[in-house]
Amino acid sequence: MNPLGFAWRSLVRQPARASLGILGVAAVGALLFDMLLLSNGLLVSMRDIFDRAGFDLRVTATEALPGQGPRMQDATAAVDAIARLSNVRSVIAMRFAEALIETTATSRVRVSFQGVGGVGARPWDLVQGREAQGTRELLVNRDTAERLRLAPGSRVQVRASCSEEPESLPPAMFTVTGVADFPFDTSSSPTAVTTLEALGELCGLDAAGQADVIMVASREGATMAATAAQVSAAVPTLQVLTNEEMVGRIESGGFSYFRQISTVLTTVTLSFAVLLITVLLTVSVNQRLGEIAALRALGFTRGRVVADVLCESALIVGGGGLLSLPLGGLLAVGLDGILKNIPGIPEDVHFFVYQSRALGVHAGLLVATALAAALYPVRIVARLPIAATLRNEIVG
Amino acid sequence: MNIASRVNNAIIEAVNVSRVFPMPAGPVMAVDDITLRIEHGEHTSIRGPSGCGKSTLLHMLGCVDTPSSGTLLFNGADVATLSDRQRSLVRLRQVGFVFQRFFLLPMLTAAENVELPQAEAGVSKPDRRRRTKELLDYVGLGARAGHRPSELSGGEMQRVAIARALANRPRLLLADEPTGELDRSTGEQIAALLDRVNADGTALVIVTHDQTLAERSRRILTMRDGRIEREESR
Repeated sequence: MNPLGFAWRSLVRQPARASLGILGVAAVGALLFDMLLLSNGLLVSMRDIFDRAGFDLRVTATEALPGQGPRMQDATAAVDAIARLSNVRSVIAMRFAEALIETTATSRVRVSFQGVGGVGARPWDLVQGREAQGTRELLVNRDTAERLRLAPGSRVQVRASCSEEPESLPPAMFTVTGVADFPFDTSSSPTAVTTLEALGELCGLDAAGQADVIMVASREGATMAATAAQVSAAVPTLQVLTNEEMVGRIESGGFSYFRQISTVLTTVTLSFAVLLITVLLTVSVNQRLGEIAALRALGFTRGRVVADVLCESALIVGGGGLLSLPLGGLLAVGLDGILKNIPGIPEDVHFFVYQSRALGVHAGLLVATALAAALYPVRIVARLPIAATLRNEIVG
Repeated sequence: MNIASRVNNAIIEAVNVSRVFPMPAGPVMAVDDITLRIEHGEHTSIRGPSGCGKSTLLHMLGCVDTPSSGTLLFNGADVATLSDRQRSLVRLRQVGFVFQRFFLLPMLTAAENVELPQAEAGVSKPDRRRRTKELLDYVGLGARAGHRPSELSGGEMQRVAIARALANRPRLLLADEPTGELDRSTGEQIAALLDRVNADGTALVIVTHDQTLAERSRRILTMRDGRIEREESR
């Protein structure tokens, strides 16, 4: 009987203790799995949204994230220059503002207001009507449409707010041309989009041509790096970021908290797992000292009895680890739902995202747990004095 | 008889062997300067009062304990020079142990308990099966092969333990109080079985308090205070 079979029989011999160990590891493993999904989940989710929006590169005035730093002053010229590049399929400039949209004196809603100009695809999915093209046309998201009961052809009054300073800009009448789903929409985030020129006019003449970000999509066959090099050469005063670099900026800009929290919680849960299995194995080994000494007397090597204990630890951790995956998956779905209820979280953003790397790290950490937990009981077994133990068993 | 031939005939030879246990109240001399040879096919009993060093001597003869001083030769090789692994191999292939408390593994059947040392010695599965059946039949438990120790009587457990000890065809069988946990009648049956094992060629050393069991041996060593006080041959 090999050590694994022997360990299995030893576990089955005490089903209550084995079940306790396996369930304990399953609970701890589920938490560990979730912590690993959480540590990178938000960033993976955001990267996915960036990729799905269909744009490879983002161009900004400084190294600050779009909307958080100074605007580009002549975005129209930059868009024209980038649009001429051979690797570029689409290029759009976006400016972010806020606006109060009114249909009547009592029916109004404050929206995230974007001005968009350029050529090619847009980063949203049109679900009704058409794009806003004229200077007094407006595209709204579903939330805005539902709140104000808007449809293509509806007329609304828009009062823009273009800076953080108090303003009193004149309102203008717009016609709704369509309804769209935006990639960073939250469940309750009214959004509206017009042309860059229209937003520039609403914000004042000095604001014409300003944009927070230019988004660039490469042609098929063109690599992101090559397009980035072309864009950097075309607009050398601006910063060019790939989606990957963008995610890196977001991470360094505060999202690393999730990783830090998950690292702390991972350490705590693994410590509990090590203690739990160590206690169970130590109790089990101490109850079998006589048998182990007898096996040694019968010729079992020290390595063999150590292997038995290691296999026992591996079976507890392995069984618990396998159970922990579906358990962790269910828990992640529940926790993700809770976190997504935080106001301002976009619909498509997830905190717990499956990554095969997380599965690998989970398995690696559990293997390390099994080994660490077995250290003390292995020490007892390896250093067991055969003769003294046999003598004590008789005297005892 | 010269030394070389003496060594060749001996399975194990202890020369001026002592074993001292360090204790808080001071060292205790469990075995004190014993010289002893166990030869092929011998039937030896060691008796004496509790604490006289019988089991300690047996453990040293079985290579599970090492002398504090003196020389212990197993098949002519100095046990002190053997690594832990080599001593394990000696025990596995050349020594069989029978314990007072049987120490059968409760989660295994009688047959699996007997197979265990064979598996450890690398015996193939068909050979293990054959040998196990042969041994269980030998100890009269062929019909109880699939029973766990909890389903066996004390005498039956000790029979299984003897079968297990014989699994790898040892040259030397060491039994520490093999009838200590059994009633007189069952003890008689175990004693008869051990006699048969010896008659079939395995050297036997029994540590016992049981006068009747000891007197079945051809050689009786009586110990006191760690020394062999008297040796009788019959």
